Amino acid sequence: MKQIKINSIVILALIMFSSCGDDFIDVDPQDPSSDTFFNSEEDYQSALISAYDPLHSTYLNVMLGEIASDNTLAGGESATDVPGIQEIDDMIHTSTNSQLRDIWGWMYGGVNRANFIMEFQDNIEFSGKNAVLAQARFLRAYYYFELVKWFGDIPFVVDRRFVLGEEFTLDRTPKATVYEQIEDDLIYAAGNLTYSASEAGRVTKGAAQALLGKVYLYQDKFSEAATVLEDVIANGPYDLLEDYSTMFENDNENNIESVFEVQYSDGEGAGFECLQCSEGNVAVGFNGIRNYTGPLFDSGFSFNVPTQEVVDAFEDGDMRLETAILDIDAWASDTGATFATGFEHTGYFNRKYISRQGDLNTGDANLTNPNNYRAIRFADVLLMAAEALNRGGLGDMQAQVYLNRVRDRANLPDTNVTGTNLTNAIYKERRVELVGEGHHFFDLVRTGRASVEIDGFQSGKHELFPIPLIEIQLAGNRWDQNPGY
Amino acid sequence: MTTKLLSLLFLLFTSLTFAQDVTVEGTVVDQTTGQPIPGVNVLVKDTAKGASTDFDGNFSISSVPINSTLVFSYIGYKNLEYVVTNDNPINISLIEDAESLDEVVVIGYGTQRKKETTGAVSVVSSETIENLKPTRVEQALQGQVAGVNISSNSGSPGASSTISIRGVSTNGDSRPLILVDGNVIEDLSTINPSDIESINVLKDATAGIYGVRAANGVILITTKSGRKEMPLTVEYSAYGGFQETTRKIPVLNGTEYALLVNEAFAAGGQGPQFIDVASIGVGTDWQDKIFETAPMFNHSITIKGGKEKSTYAFGSSYLSQDGIVGGNRSNFSRFTKRGNYTLDFLDNFKFNVGLIHTHTNKRNLSESALGSILFNALNMDPTKSVRDNTGAYTIAEGLGNEVINPLAQLNGTFDRTKVNKLSGNAGLSYNFLEHFTVQTNIQANYAEVKGKVFRPIANFGSGKVFNIDRSEVIETFNIFRDYTFDALFKYERVFNDTHDVKVLLGASVFQTTGIFTGNRGFDIEGNRVENASIELAQDVESINQEIGFDPRFDSRLLSYFSRVQYNYKGKYLLSAVIRRDGSTRFGPDNRFGYFPSGSVGWIISDEDFLSNNNTIDFLKIRASYGILGNDRIADFGFVSLLDGEGTYVFDDNIISGAALGPVANPEIRWEKQKTFDIGIDIKFLDNKFDITADYFKKTTEDLLVVPQVSGILGVGAPGAGPPVVNGGEVENKGFEFAIGYTNQITDDLKLSVRYNVTAIDNEVLSVNTEGGFIAGGSFGVGQDPPSRMEAGYPIGYFRGFQTDGIYQTQAEIDAGTPINGQVLPGDIRFVDINDDGIIDDDDKVYLGDPIPDATMGLNLSIDYKNFDFSTYAFASIGNEIVRNYERNQPLTNRSVTYLDRWTGPGTSNSNPRVTTGATSNGLFSDYFVEDGSFVRLQNVQIGFTFNKLLENSKLDKLRVYVSASNVFTLTKYRGYDPTASTGAPIGGGIDQGFYPSPRTFLLGVNLKF
Repeated sequence: MKQIKINSIVILALIMFSSCGDDFIDVDPQDPSSDTFFNSEEDYQSALISAYDPLHSTYLNVMLGEIASDNTLAGGESATDVPGIQEIDDMIHTSTNSQLRDIWGWMYGGVNRANFIMEFQDNIEFSGKNAVLAQARFLRAYYYFELVKWFGDIPFVVDRRFVLGEEFTLDRTPKATVYEQIEDDLIYAAGNLTYSASEAGRVTKGAAQALLGKVYLYQDKFSEAATVLEDVIANGPYDLLEDYSTMFENDNENNIESVFEVQYSDGEGAGFECLQCSEGNVAVGFNGIRNYTGPLFDSGFSFNVPTQEVVDAFEDGDMRLETAILDIDAWASDTGATFATGFEHTGYFNRKYISRQGDLNTGDANLTNPNNYRAIRFADVLLMAAEALNRGGLGDMQAQVYLNRVRDRANLPDTNVTGTNLTNAIYKERRVELVGEGHHFFDLVRTGRASVEIDGFQSGKHELFPIPLIEIQLAGNRWDQNPGY
Repeated sequence: MTTKLLSLLFLLFTSLTFAQDVTVEGTVVDQTTGQPIPGVNVLVKDTAKGASTDFDGNFSISSVPINSTLVFSYIGYKNLEYVVTNDNPINISLIEDAESLDEVVVIGYGTQRKKETTGAVSVVSSETIENLKPTRVEQALQGQVAGVNISSNSGSPGASSTISIRGVSTNGDSRPLILVDGNVIEDLSTINPSDIESINVLKDATAGIYGVRAANGVILITTKSGRKEMPLTVEYSAYGGFQETTRKIPVLNGTEYALLVNEAFAAGGQGPQFIDVASIGVGTDWQDKIFETAPMFNHSITIKGGKEKSTYAFGSSYLSQDGIVGGNRSNFSRFTKRGNYTLDFLDNFKFNVGLIHTHTNKRNLSESALGSILFNALNMDPTKSVRDNTGAYTIAEGLGNEVINPLAQLNGTFDRTKVNKLSGNAGLSYNFLEHFTVQTNIQANYAEVKGKVFRPIANFGSGKVFNIDRSEVIETFNIFRDYTFDALFKYERVFNDTHDVKVLLGASVFQTTGIFTGNRGFDIEGNRVENASIELAQDVESINQEIGFDPRFDSRLLSYFSRVQYNYKGKYLLSAVIRRDGSTRFGPDNRFGYFPSGSVGWIISDEDFLSNNNTIDFLKIRASYGILGNDRIADFGFVSLLDGEGTYVFDDNIISGAALGPVANPEIRWEKQKTFDIGIDIKFLDNKFDITADYFKKTTEDLLVVPQVSGILGVGAPGAGPPVVNGGEVENKGFEFAIGYTNQITDDLKLSVRYNVTAIDNEVLSVNTEGGFIAGGSFGVGQDPPSRMEAGYPIGYFRGFQTDGIYQTQAEIDAGTPINGQVLPGDIRFVDINDDGIIDDDDKVYLGDPIPDATMGLNLSIDYKNFDFSTYAFASIGNEIVRNYERNQPLTNRSVTYLDRWTGPGTSNSNPRVTTGATSNGLFSDYFVEDGSFVRLQNVQIGFTFNKLLENSKLDKLRVYVSASNVFTLTKYRGYDPTASTGAPIGGGIDQGFYPSPRTFLLGVNLKF
């Protein structure tokens, strides 16, 4: 008996020495590997969700598109509160601006996720695949459009991910080439999607057409822009919301005026270490009233505060003013609310996108505000169509019709001017209709008005933001910096 | 005179009766415990005649000539000689010889006589642990062992500590490998310190036997077991006492605060906040409200014994400790049960088994963070009362988004972690053909960790980040399993009494797996903790899809190793080790690694020229060199996975998809350390003094760093990130010195003094990231990380602006280089290091580092008659701490140093003015860096052992003692506790309101049956 035991332990030990092969440490990872992923429709749908995700991080593009313009000041706690935002407000930003690097990195994150799907577009066939690819291509167009708006010529690949090491050989692609791809993607998306989506928040035909119109307008392709935008106006299911004051409330998301919205939620927590990971609208908390106590609104960080100038840009009787701009002193004296004054306090807040009570306040409550960003509104479509018709010399009468639809809703009298006067009337209308929504800086740039309107704006330089210096270095110091930086 | 005469007569008489033989009978006992020692060899000197003591320590030898000498010897005790003069029964007391050169040290897969070790191995004995009464094992190492530095992560009950052996040698995970009876233990809170027989610390290449896991050092813990032929003994010990805070940070009282706030508002161009300052008085001392005197107690029982062929030990203990913050809301309790058993089936065939079960329950509070309880107690407005006139907790308005009423915060915290852990080991060993042994061991751990957090609906004020609108409960259940299976083959033989050869061949497999599960639910009925469970909650969801949360892991290690030890005549010592490790963590190109190490020693005192030296009793020099690895890196860094975060919202529902994770690096491999040690061990003056000194140099290469990569690769997307690459190098070199003095001065008086000091110089040699640094830690709100790992500096050094006093006048500002246009008299003057006329990032410099230049420990113990006294102090010199517990909002409270602020030209050149306006005074600068050097009297204990009382009882021993720990600390540091550190290699030493280690007073008793 004992001999057996003894033998067995010797044998056991010998087995250990001899048989425990190196394959013991071949363990498969729990998460799927990226190269073997696309095997079912679910896999495509799953990757598509992730391609939508970086839309959340466009909150920063929206904030800075406003702050860079003459509509708002940076604000915040002090002159050193997020220096990158302060610099852009003052047009003293440099290539080491960390917010610009965020935009660069986050938008390329989106490009890669959309391209990841396109890289494997031929793996399997299933019904509805065109709709998946259409959404992926819309998203790729959305992210690339942001990149060309901000940085001009950019490194660019299509239908595959960027590969580690490729950054050392890839040059900046002229923005005209990028625009061509954006147009192709949006035409494909418009052709393969319907006006109604299966779920609120998904890309629709109307969203693709409206974005395509905007992309044309940014290139001064007025006739193409007018065609596609008038198509949306005539055939899309959209209309102006009768009551402008309800437009930006959380309970009126995805309303009849919404052509495309970035969908946010307060259902998941977020932290400063990964702002792009938040499922909430980070801009809303940043824009909020500092140390606010009182009804309706919630506290925030007092960034992005409107200037007196933009308040004065509203005509008398414009009922949009009190929806767009919060006069905090008047509000405080009416309601007894209290607040603290931050840096560059103007007395005004961007009322469309400031924290409101009634959400879950999931921590950090400042970063998880649920209100969607109305990325493309029907009013924007009407004004873009009007601008395309007017500036393209395609018909000022029809342009007036579209413009006056927007003015009617604001309780303002019709305009009947034409020519350049009509152009200026449309510009003015765009500014007040869309104030606080992140469009104004780029509108000023693309129409050549920025150097007149924005203090510190240098023509030939500030039309584009600098490519982050570190990104140039990380790509082997081969890319030329944008002019002036 | 009469007695002397009698003696003389007596001597004469005895010498005359030389031919007489007697039968000698007697008893042998342990001198300290008075307990009989069985199995003691009793030999009549220069004869073959002798005997052994029986169970009761009795012996009897017949026909012993008068005047012959009896030699009593027993392992672990000093030999004693006794001259037989008559046949009266004799009582012999043997003295335990803890410092004996026959002492055995554990060196990994075996033991070795301390005399013959060639590496730097330190031992902490059960006696030390008994004296210190640590609640956690790590505390027993602090200051006791040269080269080992313990930084407590918090003073809260059950909080963990960071152990670093010979410096911080990695920016990654620097925890040593810890084995308890061969079993891998990652969390020492589950071990009852009083179960420990010895702690062996392998500090140099000796650890190389553990290959890829050895680079951070190895700690081998052996638990208590019985001895053969040992009668059943029962030891019971208990202590109880209370704890209190060692310090309150002096902050402004109500009136001082109100005046300061008014001044700040005036400076910012705003009206006063407090009109009737006179009526405010001292206000609320929030620290008084938060700190309390908290009880703790511990019971422990051990039963052990042994028969001819078996030994056994069983034990159980219970510890309960409340916190000095929050009382029982930060309670930690631990219940342990253990047993081990050995059996020799045959003389050459042996079996051992051991089992430890532990249950711990820890209640957690927010600590050491912006907005933690102590942070809030320091920053809370002292003019506010704890509760308002409705009885509700006062709301803290206007103090920033993180500062809230700390008592409301405490009251709303429900967070606990329960651990149930079973650890077992079993082994067989078979010796054959005299010199060969084959051995197998299996060790396994199974742990269940249950966490539960309830967050009730709460409103702490507008915009507070802690506000909860919807009550929430989170329950997590995580399982951790691992096993280690070792097979060893040993050959040990001495040739011709001169060549001592030991060969070890071994194979080992290790696998650790785990699974994380958890659920979150909302809307707890009545907002009451009683109803806070997932079963009763609404909208329950799994938390596994959250950011970067991989719910399972499986990592494995496959190892082969060999060790050859050789010594010639016991004087020339040699040891060589090679280990091959394969790990699931490394990329396919680097799956296997080879780790060689070797050491040599020379016992000079055994040479002829020293063997008759009367001063030096023992002298050995030794040296070791080896290449060791650190495998504590993330799993699967080598393959591109879809483990990123892809979460979007459709139809107002959050849904998740598959997203690309961090960029893969197929070449990822372990960190490699080259370690060199040269040391000397000396004993002199009748072994009363001993010295151990070591010089070491360790270079760790291939540190894992995360370089920045081009953003076009998509690394900016949620859950994505740059690849991890091997690209850093850090060097630690230093000197360790330990000296001890032990002397039995008289029969009644024994004195022991031990001192050790370690000096370490840490320097980062390279960091292959852009800019050549890695930043970490946090300071203030929204500021750049203050800590860096950068070539040429100690790891984790603090980098910020240098200051040069305060601008006194506008003229000084005009002549100087103000940081911006907002600088006014009274603001800090930052130094324009590069003289380029602007203060920017290029002007930031080294401001200190959290690594001490030297650490030391001093132990003193005195035994006089039945009294025993011991005391122990340790010190840390040359480490800096960043003061980061001030929120600096217009209405937050401040430390009393602000009473010495600048208020006009010439008033202060060190503390800036106060204002609510924008200033740059809060930017990280040397103004916030303080000297963290300290000396702490860690323990004082006085005990008394009763033996007279017990002669007629069954009690063998009764000892009572009082002890005080963390008695006082001498330091210039102004925060709570200069030991403050998260232990993070980059970002450690930043004090965000560190939970201080409590001062503890205990009364205890030890009983032995």
